[in-house]
Amino acid sequence: MAKNNNICGGLYTKKVLKTFQNPHNYGKIKNADGIGKVGNIVCLLPDQNIHINSNVKEINNISNKDRVLSHNGEYNFVESGVKRNYEGEVITLKNKLGSVSLTPDHLIFAIKLPEGDKFLRTKNRKGLVPAWYHASQLKKGDIILYPILKQEQDLKYIEINIPKPKWDFKSFNIPDKVSLHSDLLRLFGYFLSEGNVQDKPCRTFITFTLNIKEKDIVNDIKEISKKIFNIKAIVRERPETKTVVVSLYSAKLARFFKQIFGNGAKDKKIPNFIMSLPSEKQKSLIYGLWKGDGCVNLNRDGARAGFVTISQSIAQQLKVLLLRQKIAPSIYIEKQKIVKGVNHQKSYRIHVGQRESLINLCSIMGIKYSPKSYPSEKAWFDDDYLYIPITNIKEKKYKGLVYNLEVKDSHSFVSEAFCVHNCGDVMWLYIKIAENKKKEEVIKDIKFETFGCVAAISTSSVITDLAKGKTIKDALEIKKDEIIKSLGGLPYIKYHCSVLAIDALNEAIYDYFLKNKKEISAGLQKKHDAIKKSKEIIEKRYEKWA
Amino acid sequence: MKKIYLDYAATTPVDKRAVKAMLPYFAEKFGNTMSLHFFGQESKLALEQSRETIAGLIKAKRPASGYPEIVFTSSATESNNLVLKGIAFANKNKGNNIIISSIEHPCIIESAKWLEKQGFEVTKIKVDKYGMVNPKDIEKAIKKETILVSIIHASNEIGTIQSIEEIGKICRQKGVYFHTDASQSFGKIPIDVNKMNVDLLTASSHKIYGPKGAGLLYIRDGVKIEPLLHGGGQENGLRASTMNLAAIIGFAKAVEICKKEMKTENVRLTNLRDKLIKGLLKIEGCKLNGHPKKRLSNNVNVWFSFVEGESLVMQLDLHGISCSTGSACSSIKLEPSPVLLAIGLKPQEAHGSLRVSLGRFTTEKEINKLIKVLPGIVKKIREISPFK
Repeated sequence: MAKNNNICGGLYTKKVLKTFQNPHNYGKIKNADGIGKVGNIVCLLPDQNIHINSNVKEINNISNKDRVLSHNGEYNFVESGVKRNYEGEVITLKNKLGSVSLTPDHLIFAIKLPEGDKFLRTKNRKGLVPAWYHASQLKKGDIILYPILKQEQDLKYIEINIPKPKWDFKSFNIPDKVSLHSDLLRLFGYFLSEGNVQDKPCRTFITFTLNIKEKDIVNDIKEISKKIFNIKAIVRERPETKTVVVSLYSAKLARFFKQIFGNGAKDKKIPNFIMSLPSEKQKSLIYGLWKGDGCVNLNRDGARAGFVTISQSIAQQLKVLLLRQKIAPSIYIEKQKIVKGVNHQKSYRIHVGQRESLINLCSIMGIKYSPKSYPSEKAWFDDDYLYIPITNIKEKKYKGLVYNLEVKDSHSFVSEAFCVHNCGDVMWLYIKIAENKKKEEVIKDIKFETFGCVAAISTSSVITDLAKGKTIKDALEIKKDEIIKSLGGLPYIKYHCSVLAIDALNEAIYDYFLKNKKEISAGLQKKHDAIKKSKEIIEKRYEKWA
Repeated sequence: MKKIYLDYAATTPVDKRAVKAMLPYFAEKFGNTMSLHFFGQESKLALEQSRETIAGLIKAKRPASGYPEIVFTSSATESNNLVLKGIAFANKNKGNNIIISSIEHPCIIESAKWLEKQGFEVTKIKVDKYGMVNPKDIEKAIKKETILVSIIHASNEIGTIQSIEEIGKICRQKGVYFHTDASQSFGKIPIDVNKMNVDLLTASSHKIYGPKGAGLLYIRDGVKIEPLLHGGGQENGLRASTMNLAAIIGFAKAVEICKKEMKTENVRLTNLRDKLIKGLLKIEGCKLNGHPKKRLSNNVNVWFSFVEGESLVMQLDLHGISCSTGSACSSIKLEPSPVLLAIGLKPQEAHGSLRVSLGRFTTEKEINKLIKVLPGIVKKIREISPFK
């Protein structure tokens, strides 16, 4: 990596220039078996994804079992983490959702605002074109696009397959399968905010610790547990601490809750099957959570709703859930402190103050809120993203390891240099398929036609060399690094050209599969959808130029 | 292979005569122009002689007040910054409006943007398809609050020469300061600051075969302006810092040569330019950017359909010919040239632009070579391209 730094200025290696001067395999194949057309003459290709919430320090804990939110709004598995030594500036970008530290060449999906604030007015927002920017190019006030989780998987029932412990003779029996509807999700919400599992042999049960005034929650818990699990909740009031404790005596249920939510207020999390439920259903969970640990204050100067938790997971997950409801949260971290001798742990505060967001939250909470004033809003939603301005940028020196992730299925990278800008390269790849002796499908011939810069033409030539003679399976495995390596390196701002070449090959193979009615793997289909979608977005945005 | 340099609008080699004139001012005549002793006065004299020489080229006067109308700076960028910021801050009690065109050099545009952040208002005048500013648009745009109009004399990209005299006349009538950035035209076409009704004018040394590191700003006597650099009071307090005398001597020598050769050189370059344009337009899908007549004698700017500029420039470079492009691919920002977009080119058209700028050492043979190799290069790039 370090060696590539000296060509960062835009100078090409000798190999690039040689390939550019004498490119291989250019032209058209008549009667091609598959054609892949990628790129857009007018502008950028936002087909690389990025996990904005990556952090130079925390990313090292991500393993290839983890999933990260990609810019197409899906959770994708991390394929591999790449680390490298780095010494130099690190840029910390802050917005209301949190802060993230990145190397200056890291790409971020963002909008650079033209001069003057009139572009923030609703009618002008459509004209703003998001693109990938290096972190160093962004300024305070520029808009970052935060993806809204789109993946949905409805679940009608959940199974509670926890064997009854031997020593358990007296706890209430509960069904093995319950339907996953709003009542249950509300109970989950209460548990995540107020609940706890006592887990000792012979003493395994669930408790909810509430304020003595929260009678409505107590009654709700009682009703739900009766209705779904046929458990009678035991309520004990403790006026001396102004609390009320609701207990559900079922070892099986307690273990189930512990299994899916984790235990201890600090380590609680929302399980994946709930995170991907339809957003309509999730409203009940948010209701339960907010009812427990949150508040809505419409009477203060500047109406606001707040939520506090000491679990970082809950805070981050609630953020994702709220974004799906078009609620823009602000997240603050409150340091550990001692107030009047009582130790308060490090906590995460979520505030909702934006007008539209608060209206949406109040409708979930069943609270009437009809604000009269229309303050100007700097953050807004569309179907795919929350558009939110950068509130602060800091630079500092850093020496140590930095991490990148490659994300499966969306060929998305949290990477150092995938500038996907107005370069406007267009690449067409033609392939001819034949069978080899082993009866495998092989790329017998491949040719390209490219409109673009030196890097685009060189990478086109290289991908034809790399793919020729390979089986389709192997051809789909070609990585951008291979292309860059065979060119002896590329300037950072031209890395996207190598990705374009891979896209073109994927598209050609997809086209071949489609024409011959062959089975298309889920991965390839996803890639195709992503490429197609980004192309559509760009063409729509650039209609006025056409 | 002999390299052919056709990027004189970017910068020029220093003329050997200018180099020779500069040499004594490094080790022998090194005095600080502010010193009272022999060394200082020797330098001071040389500085004032240089100023005199340069003032002669643009007909600047030494007014009765005794302060020269020319301020030496480090570059045209500095001069332009000084104009915009200096005029804005010195005249903010009069108004806050500044008028520029949409095809200014980035140092004007960026300075104007910065001023906007300081509360000034910037009006950008649109240009026609040739890159010409209509003086009537300026007349309409000038309002009570306007304090400065700044229009580039000749475009660095497309070479279009503006009707500066007319615009200057309007500004004079309306009582608004008028500045022109003449970095590309200074030394190449006759300039008379009085005839052209110019109050401020920017010029640069390295575009006219002088060394880098010297520029100037002509400031008409009586114009209210604040300095950017405060310090030892050099240049009548308008630009503090020890004079870069060697560069200024080189600048003056370069001006002297330009003045002497301007007429013949202009005729020679115009002929070469027109020959080149004619040759290039024969290539299919080639169009001229900028004005066909009102353009610098050394500027050719064309665009080719379905050709990407960076590829074109790099191919030419591999043939030993150095040119430049307004393509997005070649810029650090990866954005197409704003000037080309301003004259109505679509991004994909700006993509395929090529700027060839001729100069003192350009020969007909070099032009012939370019005309000869370019069709093949364009053909090859189009062969690779999916669009035909």
